[in-house]
Amino acid sequence: MTKTTPQDSARDSDVSFIKALAELLRENDLTELQVKRDYGENDSLNVRVSRNPPAQVVTQMAQAAPAQTMAAPAPAASIAPEASADPASLPGAVTSPMVGTVYMSPEPDVAAFVKVGDKVSEGDTLLIIEAMKTMNHIPAPKSGTVKRLLVEDGAPVEFGAPLMIVE
Amino acid sequence: MFNKILIANRGEIALRVIRACREMGIGSVAVHSTADADAMHVRMADESVCIGPAPSPLSYLNFPAIISACEITGAQAIHPGYGFLSENAQFVQVVEDHGLTFIGPTAQHIRTMGDKITAKDTMKALGVPCVPGSPGGVDTVEDALKIGDEFGYPVIIKATAGGGGKGMKVANSADEMKSAFQTARAEGKSNFGNPEVYIEKYLTTPRHIEIQVFGDGKGKAVHLGERDCSLQRRHQKVFEEAPGPSITPEERAKIGKVCADACANINYIGAGTIEFLYENGEFYFIEMNTRLQVEHPVTEAIFDQDLVREQIRVAAGLPLSFTQDDLKIRGHAIEVRINAEKLPNFSPCPGRITQFHAPGGLGVRMDSALYDGYSIPPYYDSLIGKLIVHGRDRPEALARLARALGELIVDGVDTTIPLFHALLKEDAVLTGDYNIHWLEHWLETNLT
Repeated sequence: MTKTTPQDSARDSDVSFIKALAELLRENDLTELQVKRDYGENDSLNVRVSRNPPAQVVTQMAQAAPAQTMAAPAPAASIAPEASADPASLPGAVTSPMVGTVYMSPEPDVAAFVKVGDKVSEGDTLLIIEAMKTMNHIPAPKSGTVKRLLVEDGAPVEFGAPLMIVE
Repeated sequence: MFNKILIANRGEIALRVIRACREMGIGSVAVHSTADADAMHVRMADESVCIGPAPSPLSYLNFPAIISACEITGAQAIHPGYGFLSENAQFVQVVEDHGLTFIGPTAQHIRTMGDKITAKDTMKALGVPCVPGSPGGVDTVEDALKIGDEFGYPVIIKATAGGGGKGMKVANSADEMKSAFQTARAEGKSNFGNPEVYIEKYLTTPRHIEIQVFGDGKGKAVHLGERDCSLQRRHQKVFEEAPGPSITPEERAKIGKVCADACANINYIGAGTIEFLYENGEFYFIEMNTRLQVEHPVTEAIFDQDLVREQIRVAAGLPLSFTQDDLKIRGHAIEVRINAEKLPNFSPCPGRITQFHAPGGLGVRMDSALYDGYSIPPYYDSLIGKLIVHGRDRPEALARLARALGELIVDGVDTTIPLFHALLKEDAVLTGDYNIHWLEHWLETNLT
């Protein structure tokens, strides 16, 4: 049996480390990873692993579709939404805690609880969501100014639906 | 007929119901938790409503959210699938109070069959054979010992409020009775809040034989034969087949008629399954499931019937599509349940599916909500698909199953597929000569 030298061990662990990085890259669908590890003075490991991104789904009709497994009926592209395109992810977003129907006023033909530009305090009613014949007052989670209204009177909403932006 | 049905479930059974709706021209509404936003049932339905965060009590078990989802989408009926709210009598009541139709049995029938002692009493009164045992609850050790002497050991002590294979203790002799009895009562109290127990004769090598029944709610009911579901691990079925390899046509006709008549007598509506232990040609009632079962596809295959379509039809007030005479068995069907679990410990293995390829060809059916790139959430059960095959006879079905399993690809997570490759090499499985203890014994010696 050959004896492993300290240099062999160091190299083996470097190789494992690089393999682990490559695995991380693949599993998380990344195109490039760069890591620098300092083991001591004048002793560091600087690694970059990269690869070509996976082929995009081809939309040109003329070409034969690339040999990819057929995705589910709707295109499976998981496009990361840009922050501005998804209001529910904005910092001041008030999202619906329940399923139901939105009412912007306490009663029909009465002024709405809030309009754009209004200042609200934490706990003020912003709107009502009706679920199973009960009217649920939805409070402002913190004090601020109503910046955007994202639903209209009578709109159906699901859990997590963005209702308005209060900043 | 309904214009729109809301499916209060997820995964493969939600797809199953959506498919039936689509074929019938009925709009489908999927409900989902935030964790299931990208699930296949959400993509396939006509509409979807997010009803809550990931934990089931806040989403799939959330009555107000589900009723509200019906209100905002205009769904007129709710199909509960299996599990979740499918056998929740209180939910049925709430659904009806809101003027919606629950696609399933009445709250009363769900309640009756949910209590094991009432279920047994009801079935006994209707002439369904039961496991010999105590007439009701057993309160003292002295009474328990009397029961043991009367019926002969071994006996099993069961929690009245128990279920799912929990709250059961075996006593092999009078010496073991005191400790088994006291432990069962203590466990009943701590697990189900109710220490009441009853005692039954313990059958040593029974098969699990269940009869599919269907009622129109107006006094007519039929049976669709049996399924043998003896291959179980920790009381969970993994492999089911129809017809049962050990059941003769005469036995089927006799027990089937008893079950159908019992359902007709109580005006049962919809699908139901009456479960028995079968030993030495005798059937012993254990429980009734007042819902569609996971393994319903094997019955659909041998009778060429769509049971979900039939559930929707009877819920809408239509008569059954078939009479008992119309129902003739054709061939043999087998189902295997694929779980995202790592062998040999069956530890749950959620994760991202990097490749899913379903088998195809003659007589092959894959019921699964998987797709390439889908991430299996960790919050729900580990069933990720059912592979069902149908052949002209049992040997052909077995060969087809082996062939189809070879084509099935599920990459990215560990699954129980290797278990079935191994089982299909075992004599007991190939001959059909197994009982409810067989798989556990086999796992002990083969998978550790």
